[in-house]
Formats: sequence, structure tokens, C-alpha cells
Amino acid sequence: MRTRLCRHVCPRNCYNTCGLISMVEGDTIVKLYGDPAHGYSRGHLCRLGYSYLEIFNHPDRVLYPLKQEPRGSGNWRRISWTEALEQIAVYMLDLAAKYGSMLPVCIYNNSGDIGLLHRAWNWLARAMGRVTTATGNICMAAGLDALAYGFGTYTQPDPIDMAKARYLLLWGANPAWTAVHQMEYINRAREKGARLVVIDPVFTATASQADLYIQIRPGSDGALAAGIAWHLWQNGLIDNSYLSRNVVGWEAWQDYLAGLNLEELSAATGVSPELMARLAEEYATNTPAAIWLGLGLQRHVNGGQNVRTISALAAMTGNLGREGGGVYYPSLEYFNIFTTDWPEWMAPEDELRKFPIYDLAGALQRLQDPPVKMALIAGANPVVQNADSEALQRSLAAMELVVVSDLFLTSTARLADIFLPATTFLEHWDVVPSYWHRWIGVNEPAVPPRGECRSDLMTAASLAEMLNQKNPGVCPFPTGRSEEVWLAQLFNQEVYRLLGINHYRELLLGPRKLKLPANPWAGGQFATPSGCYELYSRRAEKDGLPSLPVYQPPAASTGPYPYRLLTTHTRDGLNSQFYNIADVPEPVAYISRDLARQKQLQNGTLVRLYNEWGEIIVPVEIKEMLPPRTVLCHQRPLPGGQSLNSLVPPLATDMGTITCGGPNLAYYDIFVNITPA
Amino acid sequence: MQRGFFVDLNRCTGCRACVAACRNWKGINLSLRQVYTEADYYLSLACNHCENPECFRVCPQRTYSKRRDGIVLHNSGRCTGCNRCVRSCPFTAPRYNPTTGKIEKCDLCVERIDNGIAPACVEACPVKALQVLELDAEKDFGVKWVPGLAGIQMTRPNIRFNIPGARERHLLL
Repeated sequence: MRTRLCRHVCPRNCYNTCGLISMVEGDTIVKLYGDPAHGYSRGHLCRLGYSYLEIFNHPDRVLYPLKQEPRGSGNWRRISWTEALEQIAVYMLDLAAKYGSMLPVCIYNNSGDIGLLHRAWNWLARAMGRVTTATGNICMAAGLDALAYGFGTYTQPDPIDMAKARYLLLWGANPAWTAVHQMEYINRAREKGARLVVIDPVFTATASQADLYIQIRPGSDGALAAGIAWHLWQNGLIDNSYLSRNVVGWEAWQDYLAGLNLEELSAATGVSPELMARLAEEYATNTPAAIWLGLGLQRHVNGGQNVRTISALAAMTGNLGREGGGVYYPSLEYFNIFTTDWPEWMAPEDELRKFPIYDLAGALQRLQDPPVKMALIAGANPVVQNADSEALQRSLAAMELVVVSDLFLTSTARLADIFLPATTFLEHWDVVPSYWHRWIGVNEPAVPPRGECRSDLMTAASLAEMLNQKNPGVCPFPTGRSEEVWLAQLFNQEVYRLLGINHYRELLLGPRKLKLPANPWAGGQFATPSGCYELYSRRAEKDGLPSLPVYQPPAASTGPYPYRLLTTHTRDGLNSQFYNIADVPEPVAYISRDLARQKQLQNGTLVRLYNEWGEIIVPVEIKEMLPPRTVLCHQRPLPGGQSLNSLVPPLATDMGTITCGGPNLAYYDIFVNITPA
Repeated sequence: MQRGFFVDLNRCTGCRACVAACRNWKGINLSLRQVYTEADYYLSLACNHCENPECFRVCPQRTYSKRRDGIVLHNSGRCTGCNRCVRSCPFTAPRYNPTTGKIEKCDLCVERIDNGIAPACVEACPVKALQVLELDAEKDFGVKWVPGLAGIQMTRPNIRFNIPGARERHLLL
């Protein structure tokens, strides 16, 4: 029996984007390992990576198209692909005939698989032009816009270079749990004497390892940054020559700093002025210093402003372009170098009818002329991950046809009429860039698709084929191409140059690193209108935002819902994935000892967490060191048809339009009340 | 020379890659390693390959043996699944496998060790928090006990820890 080794790249929405190798005997995957040739993950995986064979072989994996009649009954029967695609295509064409276009069709896709070929659903939408899709990004848009105002376009320095820092300020980031391989580079710096400082409202696993941990009131990060900026300025710790050469708006911002009241900032943040002064001193004098802007601090209505203010500290101290220093945040530049736009068969982007992604539930209900009648959801589980789960369930219930493509019958899939089974990365081709590091790997199939599963790309192509069969020429999406032919289309001369290869198949011998400068800002050239880092941004002003990095407060609780609900990310899964494997802990709501005493709750007591949007019932557990009036429920799916995000309104952050087409969700600015259930 | 595990509490992030790697390598649906959460560190524990193992002492079928290099092995051949070892081990190392009706226990990946490679958990750890410990009379290092570990006087486990350094923490005013 032939034994082969195949190369893979984990396509999850995760900083690490690790390389894997499968050992295949005949048509059976017998082992899965970390790929030692991957320069960032270096042969390591995480708990989820090691669980992939369990996912691949999971008894709950759907292997055949299914039809649910009636919808929501749980009465699923197997149908053929032809039947499934026919029903979908005929329905779409009927809608087009009735309404004059396919605008009543909504195609919704998200980050279930971030491999480039998994954008096929978006490409299908572009092929048809007049369909309804979401715009924006529920995750990182505010921070990315904030950095775009300052830098012009933002890319992060090479994260491997954190090993060269003398000072690592992890602000709202918890890599110990959400980007575990980055800890290796942080540890390398610490072995050489670097200091690790963590700022976070929650005492996380990363915080427990920090030399200095500073707790902060959720969402007040901009105030702390303003306080630190004041101390940098007042204590002569700024780099005047860098400011005069490379930064625009320092004088204007000084006026703002001069007007700050340190006592107010201290009250807003829960951090003493002395500690702010110490942070300023440490950050300015330990060079090079790197700041990692975590995603959490921009999940507030003031998220973008928080990021602008923190990033300003690097500008003030000349840290922006330093090797080993700078400002780190995930960016999408390594995706953008690939070819994913084909005007020969794609309609212009503006033909699509777009709604803001953070208001999926509302859009499905509100859009008119024509209304949305059909939802096609792939690579996403919006009932769990997007806002206002209860409204979304109602919106989907009002659809005439709901089609979901996924691996499992997720909470969203359970609301579908037709389910299309998808492949895992072990069964298809793709190329997966990272939003963090510069390593690019090609993912080849280890085995043919299980059952009748098809990759998102092949499913989209099959649907296009069926549409054209029923109505020739209606859908210009290319059909009849293999996955590998599609893969080849993604690569262009620029990608080959940056990778130092001549053909994408060379990546099957091992992933490669994009040849880019370690810190893109080393030369002091910024992609802004002024060519400088813009503390003062005219562009922001035109977009209706403060021109300067001024502190704006996060949302505050109102009377009936006094407790802030933080739904931070955890090591136990990746968004809504991996909760069906062994060894998953039970969901729990963490509360402080004070709150437990006040409400007469003990460990294990079932409580109702509720607000005007929805409610959930979970057991509580007392946790030390929580911020006051805060409940912590790690983000994850819940059993019993409940959804944590039924408590999350469609509340947008302050920015996100210029880089992502819309703001993200202010997940951490929501408030609940709590009673024993 | 006695083999066991060395756990660097400075580095362990509680990510549980070690737990998953063990399950992945052994191909059984239970992990022989667990990660316990303490106040501000994580304890990753499998089998401590004790000097004076209780499992060895209480097994009525004499399924346990201790190699010269200290690795405590369980031979499932005569195992009846009576669970005496499960109840006696202070560190819950032996685990009952309901599928086979027998006990499973970490064997320090003895077949990997004998081929010169690290156990699956050690190799998997993304932050090098787990190492194979090689103790002998002259070379002892690290600390033998940390809060969260059961008492060590009886079985004298071959596990050592590197305890976290000084940390400064400021909670909200």
C-alpha cells in the first residue's frame, strides 16, 4: 500500500495559520503532524490542529446533501446533488423572473475557512452581479481603519521580529490562548531580557506570565493611552526629531494632551497616574519596544479611537519603524497580493446590493425593492457568531428558501431547507495566506472528498452549471475547471517574485516566506496624503470622525442592565468550531465573588443572563480578579438551541468603512442583567 | 537515571496542545494527560513514573512494571479493569477505557523514547513547557511539588517544576 505525505495549511480564522503534514496509506489518513518546514509554526500545532482527524472522521459529519421538511423539524432526508442544485437553481431563476433580478437572493459567507478558493461564494455573487451580499467585517474593521488613518494603508511588521524587542506591550491581546505560536517569539525576546507587559480587563493566561500586568476598565484603553502620552510628553520622553520629520499633527495633539485631566483618566481606566507614568517611562526607555494591539480593545463603540490613541504612542517615541519595535495588528495585505478579481466574467463590485454585515438580521427583514427571499449561507454560522440571534432566526424563518453549506448541522444549518455537505482541508486544494505572518503554504488534498462532500469552490461551480443548464448564459462563473486550475489563477508574477518561486507547486515542497521588509515603516514613508504618519487625519475628519486620536468613552450600562458581558475568545475552540470533539468544557458564566454574594449564587447555580435582545441560561462560576460589574462568558456555541449572541445587538464600532467596507460589531459593549434561573 | 517529566510553569499557557497530541498519537479517545488550572498557572500532568508507584503496588494482576530508566509501564494483557490503580494513584494517571474495559496510562511514549524522539506531548508543546526529565543521584533540579499537585511523600513522583518568576500585578483601583 502506498504511503504518501501531503502538505496542508490550517484555514481557520486564527493568527497562526499553521502548516500540517498528513501521512496517507492508500486512501486513509493515518496521522496528522505539524509541518516542520513551516517557518512560523515550526512543526507545532495547537489543541485544535491535533483534533483534525477527529473532525474529519466525526460521526456527525454530513456526507450527502440533505433536505429538511418542514424547515426546523429536524426531519432531514438525503437527496442527490442534482436534486439539491436543481431545486436551488430553479428557485433562483423563478425569483429572477418574478423580480427582474437575483437581488432577492442573499449570499452570505464568512471566515469559516479563510483559504482563498473559499471566496468562491463571493465570486459567484460577483458573477451574477445583482445579488444581495454583506459588506464589512464583524471582527477587525475598526482597528484596521484606525491604523489606515495613521499609516495610510497598514501592514504589520514581521511578527517573528517580536523576538528582537526589548519591551513587549501586549494590549488587549491574549496570545497564550488565541495565537499560541507567537509565544515562542515572545519567549525568545524574554530569554534575552525583554520585559513583557500585558494590559487587559481580564487576567488571562498571557497576563499570568507577564512581568507586569495592568488591569484596565473595559473599553477605556484610549484613556490609558492618552494618559501615557501625557507623561511621555511632559517627561521629555518623546522623539522630537522623529515627530518633526515623520509625523503630522503633533502640535494639534499637544493641545489636546494639555487639556487632559489625569484624575479623570485614572477614574475612567482604573489605572493610577503613577502607573501611567511608569508605563510611559518603561515604554520610552526600553528600545526597541513593540505594541501588540489586541482585537478586544476595538470591539467597543470607541474601538477605532482606542487604536488610534495607542498607535500614537509609537509615533511619539519613534518606535513605528524600529526593527523589533513598532505596532502590530492583523492585516489583510498578504491576501491582497493574490489575484482574486477577474473582470472578464465578474460584474463590477458596485452592482451588488450590499448591507452592513453587523446587521444581517435587520437587513434580511428590511430590504425592499425587491425584498430578500432566499438566503444561501456557506462557511459561516451567523446564528451563533453574528448579532441578534433571535432576530436572525426570525429573518431566516421568513425566507422562502434557506440553503446552508457546512461540515456539520450547526445552529444556522438547522434552520435550512437544503444542506450541502462541504469538504475539510484534507479533501481539497487551496492556498491560505495569514493575516499575521508572512508564510504562504499550498494545501493539497490528502484523500478524495468523503461521501459526496464538495469543496465550496466545486459547489459554487456546480450551482453555476445548473443555473446555466436551466437558463443558458445566466451565470458567467467559469465551470468545468478543476480546483488546481483555479488555484493556478490565484498566483501572479508579484506573488511568485515575493515567494522566490516559479510555480505554485513548488510550495508543495514546503511553505515559503514572502520577501518583504521586516518593518514596512522603517524608511519613514507612510502611504498617507502627507507621506507622514498622521496623528491629525484630514481623511478621518472628512469621514465624520475626530481628526485626532482623542479619547471617546465606550458604551455604558443603563439602569435595567447593569453588567457588562465580555465574550472573549478561548482556547477551547475557534469561533463556533471544534465544540463537537472530546474534552470540551461545559459553558459557564464567570462572575465575581461580590456579584455572587449579592445575587446569592454559588458555583454551578443556573442563571438567566438577559437584556432586551434575548436571554440565555448557563451555570455560573466564581472567578477572582474580574472587573466590577462584569460577567465573562467565553465566546462559543451553547447547547439547547441557545446562542450567546442573542444578547448582542447590531451595535457597530466607530469605524471600518475604508478598509473593510463597514464597521465591526461592538461585541464587548453589551450589557445584561442576571438572576437565578 | 530516572525518567519523568519536567514542567516549566513559567511557560505553560494552558493551551492543552499536549492533551490533544497525546490523544492524537495514541489513537484512543481519551487523553492520558490533563491540564489543570491553578490560580495563576497551569499544571500539565500525565503519569509521574513514581519511584514507589501505588499502581504497581495495588494491582492484583501484576500488570505494572518499572523499567530501569524509571518508566512505569502497564501491560494490558492481564488487566481486568478492576480500577484499583485508578482509585489509588494520587495523580489520577491510570484511566479506565470503557471501550476496551482496561486501563490506559501514559508510558512516556516509550516506543518513541526508545527510538530517540520525544514523547508526543513534549514535541507538541508550542512553548517548550514540557521536557523529558532525566534525574540521577547527583543531578536533581527544579522543585518537586507545587500547589495543585497531590502529596508526593508516598509515591515520590519523578516530576519537577520550574516555578514562575516574580510578577507584578495591578488590579483596578
